[in-house]
Amino acid sequence: MAKARVVVVRSARAWTAAGDPDPAVIDRMLERGLALTGGGPGTAPAAALFRPGDRVGIKVNTIGGRAISTRPEVALALARRLAAAGLAAKDIFVWDRTTRELRDAGYSPNAGRSGVRVLGTDADGLGYGPELVVHLGVGSLFSRVLTELTTASISLAILKDHGLAGVTAGMKNYFGAIHNPNKYHDSRCDPAVAEVFDAPPVRSRHRLSVLDALTVQFHKGPSYHARWAARYGGLVFGLDPVAVDRVGWEIIERLRAGAGLPTLEAEGRAPGYLRTAERLGLGTFDLAAIETIEEDEP
Amino acid sequence: MNRRGFFRGAAGAGLVLGGGLPAIGRRLCAAAAGPNLSRVEARHYVKLPDREIECRLCPRFCRLGDKERGYCGVRENVGGTYYSLVYGKVCSLNVDPIEKKPFFHFLPGATALSLATAGCNVNCKFCQNWEISQVRPEQVEAYDLSPEDAAARAAGSGCPAIAYTYTEPTVFFEYMVDTAVRARRRGIRSVVVTGGHINPEPLAELLQVVDAVKVDLKGFTEAFYRSYVRGALKPVLETIRTVAGSKVWLEIVVLVIPTLNDDPATIREMCRWIRSEAGDRVPVHFSRFQPMYLVRNLPPTPVSTLVAAKRIALEEGLRFVYVGNVPGHEAENTFCPGCGREVISRFGFTIKAMRMKKGRCESCGTPIPGIWA
Repeated sequence: MAKARVVVVRSARAWTAAGDPDPAVIDRMLERGLALTGGGPGTAPAAALFRPGDRVGIKVNTIGGRAISTRPEVALALARRLAAAGLAAKDIFVWDRTTRELRDAGYSPNAGRSGVRVLGTDADGLGYGPELVVHLGVGSLFSRVLTELTTASISLAILKDHGLAGVTAGMKNYFGAIHNPNKYHDSRCDPAVAEVFDAPPVRSRHRLSVLDALTVQFHKGPSYHARWAARYGGLVFGLDPVAVDRVGWEIIERLRAGAGLPTLEAEGRAPGYLRTAERLGLGTFDLAAIETIEEDEP
Repeated sequence: MNRRGFFRGAAGAGLVLGGGLPAIGRRLCAAAAGPNLSRVEARHYVKLPDREIECRLCPRFCRLGDKERGYCGVRENVGGTYYSLVYGKVCSLNVDPIEKKPFFHFLPGATALSLATAGCNVNCKFCQNWEISQVRPEQVEAYDLSPEDAAARAAGSGCPAIAYTYTEPTVFFEYMVDTAVRARRRGIRSVVVTGGHINPEPLAELLQVVDAVKVDLKGFTEAFYRSYVRGALKPVLETIRTVAGSKVWLEIVVLVIPTLNDDPATIREMCRWIRSEAGDRVPVHFSRFQPMYLVRNLPPTPVSTLVAAKRIALEEGLRFVYVGNVPGHEAENTFCPGCGREVISRFGFTIKAMRMKKGRCESCGTPIPGIWA
């Protein structure tokens, strides 16, 4: 059985002298990561992942403000890559829960009718669908951005330690697609993260996970604490959402070890929802069954 | 008409209060026109290192980092200070009969200005008001109503009481307490409709300023609370015990759900506990379940189940036991424990007849426990 592939592209030059992500470098990282994820150099993953006419949502995580959210430079570069691969700009939606959080994280909201849309679920005329989606232990309303505006989804999460969940990455990012995430943080978000992902509005749309690991909060997350935030300079890619998050967890563990911190397991905070996700058939948990390709940006 | 029907009717009627503020019925989650949030520092929390806080309002003891909200969704840590986002942000406001709460031994026939903000600290799978209780405050429309304005509106509407109800008032603790203080200055009572998930210290503070508490005792096993309430039974029992030992009037409601919490032996155990810890004079209402929210696969509670629960309660020595959400049932009425005569006749939330004088049975003079004036 083929291993699940996860691609980690890193660059020491990811930031400009001013401390912002360098768009040119980010774009090259995306190009390389997407190419490897799509099956090999020279392939056009967007063509394989999306059908003509797809409307693609890029779900970002902006709850952490400018300091520790999915970087707009990454989200917009990814949107441009999708457009270059043939998707119409008007069919690409960068989105999260609220317009305010997007703005606070450095995005310029665009809820208009042209270009790449950047919008919160709370944008005029959107909100949450009126019907509860009841699936396993989940009972939630889902964002209409996900369910009505998009036909396919990319989870573009920031990689962070999470006090309750252990790790917040691509799968937990979809907590931002439901109206009541605060109700799902018991038991280290297990099984809620896996069950929300498994719910039809997400599972039927999710195509690709990308983790923004340019800056990784490896302890005391999900809030930003400079002391435990590392400039990792990475982007992580994969079609298997569980495998991507599993590798993300490993990155956090390496950074924790480097700082002399105990493992999440030792702190009783291991993200058990990933094993649950594997049990639900959502992907691969075992690192031995994951092919991790690590490259430096060319 | 069942309780839900009554609620719909009241909300749909579009009651308008004295001051012109429209009554706000339940609304489905939709895009907010713009968040209407307060930023009033919360009470009952402690600051921790690294801008973390621990909320001590309810037994969850949420420990939160910067920018995080508690389980309730309406209290947020901003830079190491914990704020209520719903202080004075009312999402539901109606004038209700006090019997709708239900209180049967507290100012019968009175109306209560009934208000709620968004949020709840549990997640009952059978919640009747989930559209406002299980949402974040950005997801429902809210109107500004300060504590002083709420007290003034109650007075202007001829309501002798304000009811904190519909959602879980514990989550808007600061607003509730401040409103109750101002209401009391105007001679207006405050009544609380709660699931009882509140810590002893804030509860003690609350009991200083309110006049009656109705606790929803949703079951009598920890397993039920864990699975269907997403909470714990023990703190609820502690709340009931504390209220019963205070000067504040207490009533208890048990929503009986077919197959989930209707085991006669468990109901008997519950009644025995109530009598032992809260006394035989506390009114107990066995209410009829209607399928909704996440429990839609079960039928409404058979009336016979409620009647059986009432019989068990009487056998265990409770003296005032009612059947709820079954308008017209004879067990809506209050009977004198002395002579057995019907002293309060009800239909649904309506008082048809009162045969009491100064809190006593008109026929035999037996005192009926309650707050009657």
